[in-house]
Amino acid sequence: MTTPPAPTALSERLHERITALGRVTRQLIEPIGTGARFVRAVVRATKDTAQWLPEFSTHARVLGVESLPIGVFIALFTGIVLALLASYSVGNLVPPYFVGTLVQKTITLELAPVLTGLALAGRVGANIAAELGTMRVTEQIDALETLTFDPMSHLVVPRVLASALMFPIVVGMAMLVGLLSGWVASIVLLDISTPQFLKGVRLFFQPFDVQYGLVKSASFGAAVALIGCRAGLNTRGGAQGVGRSATRAVVISAVMILVLDAFWAIVWLSGRSLR
Amino acid sequence: MTTSKRTSDFIVGLTVLVVTVLIVAAVLWVKQADLGGRQRHVVVRTREVGGVALGNPVVIRGVRSGRVESIALGAPGWVTITLGLERGVQLPPDPVVLLAAASLFGEWQAIITTAAGVPPDRDLRAAIAEARTQSDTPSDTQGDTLAGAVLPDIAQLTTVAGRLAGDVAKVADRVQVAFDDAAARELRESIRNFAHLSTVLARTIDVQSKNLDQISGDVHTGLTRISAAADRLNTFSTRMDSATSRGELQQIVSSSQQAARELLTATTNLRDMTTKLDRTEARLSTVIARADSVFMKANGTTGTLGLMMNDPALYQQSDSLMRELRALVADVKKNPRRYLNLRVF
Repeated sequence: MTTPPAPTALSERLHERITALGRVTRQLIEPIGTGARFVRAVVRATKDTAQWLPEFSTHARVLGVESLPIGVFIALFTGIVLALLASYSVGNLVPPYFVGTLVQKTITLELAPVLTGLALAGRVGANIAAELGTMRVTEQIDALETLTFDPMSHLVVPRVLASALMFPIVVGMAMLVGLLSGWVASIVLLDISTPQFLKGVRLFFQPFDVQYGLVKSASFGAAVALIGCRAGLNTRGGAQGVGRSATRAVVISAVMILVLDAFWAIVWLSGRSLR
Repeated sequence: MTTSKRTSDFIVGLTVLVVTVLIVAAVLWVKQADLGGRQRHVVVRTREVGGVALGNPVVIRGVRSGRVESIALGAPGWVTITLGLERGVQLPPDPVVLLAAASLFGEWQAIITTAAGVPPDRDLRAAIAEARTQSDTPSDTQGDTLAGAVLPDIAQLTTVAGRLAGDVAKVADRVQVAFDDAAARELRESIRNFAHLSTVLARTIDVQSKNLDQISGDVHTGLTRISAAADRLNTFSTRMDSATSRGELQQIVSSSQQAARELLTATTNLRDMTTKLDRTEARLSTVIARADSVFMKANGTTGTLGLMMNDPALYQQSDSLMRELRALVADVKKNPRRYLNLRVF
């Protein structure tokens, strides 16, 4: 046995390092690629309306209508807290009607979509991931495939479309309730009159505010449903795997909501003023 | 299953419908949309809009009467603003529109007022007049078109105020630079000189007071003598009628001569006093002029006194010279042979 020459050993070590770097890079990028492929498959599956349309209303009711109480509950207290926070923060520095302005702007632009989205990420994302994960580990999805049902059009598309449609409904309701609760809190707790509050609400109101919040929430709904479906379909390992999938779906959905929130702010609010 | 699906369809459809209607209604209500055409529209032509934005209130005599509906660029150099007014609102006579900040917090409003109610600002009135001229052109076919102008923003006013404050600060800095320690020393020296001048003036006034007392005494004496002369003249006049008959004319003439002499003496004394007063006044002027000259020289840096007063180096050198001279004299006394070396041969 002779010792290999030093240059060969060096080149092998260098080769291994470069390979490791490539592997790490691929592992980092791979979820993006598989996620994009998943989204492409969902988009393609939307053509098969006969498969997903009958399931749509059921999922819209489960994911949207039954989520209304959560959204309303969150918005109710958010409006009260916002009114008090606005009054506390600005104090006597600005006229009291600015409480209405702050409540309206904050609720419609940010808090109603994001807080409701985060709450629904837990409810809807976990629901979808657990349901599909259970179907996966009990081989119901395999049975569907055996019966020539496309899991994408039969299971994923109705959930994603229902979620994308019903999130804005829940968020719109949350906007109304948040504004109303802020109004009542201003009258009862802050001694601000109704004309003053309405003056503040109307002062800088733009229909764009509502449009921005609703479009943003639709994107949140689609993202939460897509992440939940993907986590559920990729479930492995029985009940424990279902739990892991649900947890992963909730965490990734919450992070994705914040990422999308920043994305929409950059796309729509950057460089935009009230004029 | 079919019933369940139908129920889901109904519930979802009802929810979507109700929430959509609620959101649309809320938006229209908050936006104060004119659904029934209950508003009239007024077009405003102005050079610029300042901080006015869509939805800002329109105010007539302080009462909100509508809102800004649209803002658009008009003819070259002009902006067209459409105001939505409530149908029952009556415009004031000869109306113009002022765009002004409503508060310090970025709120603007359009104020409809009479042309006579425009603040007496030359630029503002010129802008209104220019906009009115443009609004009256035959090409203007927009119906109710009002002239508009922008009142200076509070930010602009504060900017001007800030600039003024900066100028005041610069002036203050310059005053501080001018009134430094040297100036303070000179001021103290001037006050000291003025105190000295006051002492001299007080002394002079004291002397003049005594002179005036003497003058007044002399005047009193003169007046007494004039009074005596008048008495004698009176006696003279009473005796005039009998003078010719009793042969006392010669006595009267002699008395008159004596009174005239006394009057002459009094006049001479008065002239002397006047001369003394003139000399005293001249001396006072001289004293003041000399004091002024002394102050000028003292404050200047060319004279010896000025240098002594203003140049500390010269004073220190003089002081040092005196010390050295004292040391030299002492040394001469102690060691005369070092300096005086007398040799006969």
